[in-house]
Amino acid sequence: MGRYGGTIRTLTSSANWDTDIFVMCNEPLINTPGILGEEITGNICDAFQVNAEQTEFTFHMREGIKWSDGTPVTTEDVRFAYEDVMMNTDLTARPPTWLRSGNKGTGTPYVVKVKDDYTFTISFDKPYGGFLLVLGISGWRSYIEVLKPAHYLKKFHTKYASKAEIDAAIKEANVEGWPQLFALKDVTNWEMTYPPALTFPSLYPWILKETSQQGQIYERNPYYFKVDPAGNQLPYVDYLDSAYVADTEVIQMKILAGETDFSRSHPKFVKLPLYKENEEKGGFTTAMVQFHATSIDLFLNLTHVDPVWRQVVRNPDFRRALNLALDREEIIDAVLYGYASLPDFNPAEYNVEKANQLLDSIGLNKKNADGYRLGPDGQVFEIPFETGVQRTDMIPTLELVVQFWEKVGIRTTMKTIDGALWTQRSAANELKATIYWVEALWYNSPVGINLWAPLWDQWWNTGGAEGEEPPQDVKDLLDVRATITTLPPAEGIKAYAEMKKLVADQIYFFVPVEKVLQPLIFSKRLGNVSDSPDAIAIGVNFSAEQFYFKS
Amino acid sequence: MLSYIGRRVAQIIPLLVGLSLIIFIVIQLPPGDYVTMYIQRLEAAGGKVSEYEIANLRRLYNLDRPFYQQYFIWIRNIVLKGDFGRSLQWERPVSELIGERLLLTMVVSICTLIFTYTVSIIIGIYSATHQYTAGDYFFSFLAFIGISVPGFLLALVIMYLVFVNTGVAVTGLFSEQFVRAPWSWPKVVDGLKHIWLPIVVIGLSGTASLTRTMRGLLLDELQQAYVITARAKGVAETKLLFKYPVRLAINPMISTLGWLLPTIVSGESLVAIVLNMPTTGPLLLQSLLAQDMFLAGGFLLMTSTLTVIGTLLSDILLAWLDPRIRFGGVSEH
Repeated sequence: MGRYGGTIRTLTSSANWDTDIFVMCNEPLINTPGILGEEITGNICDAFQVNAEQTEFTFHMREGIKWSDGTPVTTEDVRFAYEDVMMNTDLTARPPTWLRSGNKGTGTPYVVKVKDDYTFTISFDKPYGGFLLVLGISGWRSYIEVLKPAHYLKKFHTKYASKAEIDAAIKEANVEGWPQLFALKDVTNWEMTYPPALTFPSLYPWILKETSQQGQIYERNPYYFKVDPAGNQLPYVDYLDSAYVADTEVIQMKILAGETDFSRSHPKFVKLPLYKENEEKGGFTTAMVQFHATSIDLFLNLTHVDPVWRQVVRNPDFRRALNLALDREEIIDAVLYGYASLPDFNPAEYNVEKANQLLDSIGLNKKNADGYRLGPDGQVFEIPFETGVQRTDMIPTLELVVQFWEKVGIRTTMKTIDGALWTQRSAANELKATIYWVEALWYNSPVGINLWAPLWDQWWNTGGAEGEEPPQDVKDLLDVRATITTLPPAEGIKAYAEMKKLVADQIYFFVPVEKVLQPLIFSKRLGNVSDSPDAIAIGVNFSAEQFYFKS
Repeated sequence: MLSYIGRRVAQIIPLLVGLSLIIFIVIQLPPGDYVTMYIQRLEAAGGKVSEYEIANLRRLYNLDRPFYQQYFIWIRNIVLKGDFGRSLQWERPVSELIGERLLLTMVVSICTLIFTYTVSIIIGIYSATHQYTAGDYFFSFLAFIGISVPGFLLALVIMYLVFVNTGVAVTGLFSEQFVRAPWSWPKVVDGLKHIWLPIVVIGLSGTASLTRTMRGLLLDELQQAYVITARAKGVAETKLLFKYPVRLAINPMISTLGWLLPTIVSGESLVAIVLNMPTTGPLLLQSLLAQDMFLAGGFLLMTSTLTVIGTLLSDILLAWLDPRIRFGGVSEH
C-alpha cells in the first residue's frame, strides 16, 4: 500500500525518447509476471483460452475499462484495429510477422472474430502455441496492434469521416494524404513521446501531458484500470518528468547529484564504486539486480569471406580450445566485481594446457619468433576484435580476453569503432570478431547467429534466397530455435534448454559469464521498488505504477 | 559600390542552389536512413519493429521515393512555402525546433562575441604597447593556455570542481525549477547566474587567439614610419595609438567577423553538449547522428546561407571601413 502524489524524475540521452519511461508505461493485453515467461496472467484481458490444436485463442477483456478520455473499451476497438487498419491495404501493406501463423513472414495472416462486447478470438490456420507469450511480452508488445481507440481514430479514417473533415485534418497536420495522416494520429507504444500522443487516448498508467525539447512530463491516467490489493487506484505517483540530457557523462553526474528518482538504462557497471561513494550525498540506493541479457559475449564470424579465417574458425575444436583458454573467474572478479555466475551456454572449464594441446592437434602447432601460432597459409593467425562499445564493461572484458588468447599463442587485437559504423560493418558481414550480448529471456529465443554467422542467418530468414546455406548442425540448431515460440510455454522452456545444450557442445559463440547483475538506481524516498537480486531490472522498471514516495 | 554589391548578391543564388544539393547528398551518404536508425534504437531497448510499421514509417516520411524526388519536394516546400519540413526525430516542424533554441543560442553567442572582442582587443593593445614586460608575459602565458586547452575539457574540469565541492551539477542555462517554466523576470535573473560559465568557456580560446593576433598586428603597425613621424610631430600618445595603428590593426579582425555570423546561430556544439545547454549545437549533432535529414538539412542550409551572407557583409563592411579597398573595388569595374 503506498501514498499518493509526487513526481518521478528520470533522465534520458535520446532525443524525444526515454526507455525507462517507455517500460513504465507500456501495457500488454496479457501479462507474464516478472517478465519470466513461466506463467501467463491477465492484464487488459482478464481471461483467455486456447483450443486443443493451438490455433484459436479466445480473449475476454476486463469489463468497465476505459480509455484515458473516459470512453469504454469494447470489442468495437478490436474490430476497428483488425478490419479497418490491419486489413486496410491503404494503411497496412502487409500484417506483421507475429500476427501470421507460425510467426513466419510467409504464414497466413491472423483472423479476428468478435463474439460479444468483451469477447473476441484470434485464429491462425496452423498451430501457434507460443502466441500468448508473443502477445504478452516478446519485443515489449503493447495492446496497440490489436486494440485501438476507435472512437478517436474514426475521425481520421475515410470510411467514417467525410472528405471535407479528412482534408481539413490533412491540411492542419501538413501531411500528404490520408494514410500519412492516419499513421501520424495512430500513436503506437514506440511513439508515446511524440506530440500527437498528447491527445491520443491510451491505457497507460501515465499519459503524455507536455512535450518539449527539454523532455516530457506525464500525468497519471485518471481512468487507469489497475488497483492495489486494498482497491486503491494505481498509479500512486502523480507525474513522471523525463529530462533530456544529450551527453551520457553528464547523466552520470546528475545521477550522482541525486537529480533522478529512478534510472535503469543509464547506471553503468564500471561506475559502481562511484555510485556507492555518492549514495548518501545523492540520497539514492544502488541495487544489484538481474540484467535481461547475458551481458558480454564473444563472436567469431564463421561466414566471413576470408577463406583461411573460415577454415580455422569453423573447426569446433579451435573454438573449444579458445573456450578452455578463457579464465572466467578472473573476468567475474576483475570486471564484474563478483556480480556474475559461470554460464551454462558454454562449458566453463579453464585449462590452458588442454587448450594448447588442442590447438597443436588441429594443425596450428607452428609458431613464429614471437610465439604466435601460424595459420594454414603460413601467416600469423589473428583474431581482430572490433567493438562499438555499446556497454562500458566491454572494453575491460576484451582486454582480458586478448591476454587469455595471446597466452595460448593466438594473436588477438582489439579496436573500438563508432557505434553506427559497427552496426554497418556488422550488417555487411565485415566484422571478423566482436563483442555483444544475447538476451537471457528464453522466449526471445536468443542465439546471436546474426553476429557469429550473418550469411547463414540471412539464408535462414530469406528462405534460402540470399546468404549462404548453413551446415546441417546449424540448421538443426535453428530448427530448435524456431520451435521455442511456436510451442506452449512449458515445452518452449525445454526447447530453449536444448538449444543451449547445442551451443555448449559446438561453442558457436563464447558466453564468458551469465546471470550478470546490473546496478539499478532509485531514490531512497521511493517505495515498492524491488531490490532483490533475483528480480530482473527491466521487470522492476515495468512495475512502476506501484512505486510511491515514502515522504 | 552599388553595382559591386549587386554583383555579389547575384553570385549568391547559384552558390546556394549548389550548397543545398551538396547538403542533401552528404546527409544521405551514410548507409541506411532515419528508419534504420530508429529501428536500431528500438532494438537496443529490447523492442522489435514489425515490418508493417517500417513500411508505414518509410511511406510517412517519403523515404521510399527516389533521391531526386525527395530533394525536389524538400526544396520546393522551402522556396515556395518557407516550410523546412518536419523533423523525423521530434515529429515537429523544423522551423519550430530551431526557433525555440535560436534566441538562447544568439544570446549566448553574442555575449561570447562581445566578451571575446572586448577582452582580446584591450589585452592585445596592452600587450603590444608593453611588449616584453611582466604583464605581456603573463597575458601571453594565459593566451597560450587558452589556445591549447579545448573548451569542452575546460567545461568538464569546472563542472567536476564545482560538483566535488558543492555536490551540484552545474549544467544547463537554468536551475531545475525554471527549465520548463515560461519566461519571467526570475527566470531571466536565474539565466544570468548560469550564463557566465558557457560564455567564459566558449569565449576562452577565441579570446586567446584574438589577443595574439591583435598584439602581432599592432606591433607591426607601431613600427611603421608614419607612427614615428606622428610621434616626432608631437601627437599625444593615446590619440596617436587609437587614431591610426589600432584602426589598421583591427581591419583583419573585421574581415573575419563575417565568419562569426553562422556560429552565432549554430553555437559551440561540443561545449554546449557537455554543459547540456538548450542551444542549437546539440540539436544539430543529434539530428546528424539520427539521420534526421530534414532537421539536419534545414539547419545546415541555414548556417551555410548565413556564412555566405556573413562573408558578403564583411566584404561590404571592409570596403566601407577601408578606403583602399573601396576605391580599388570601384575602379576595377
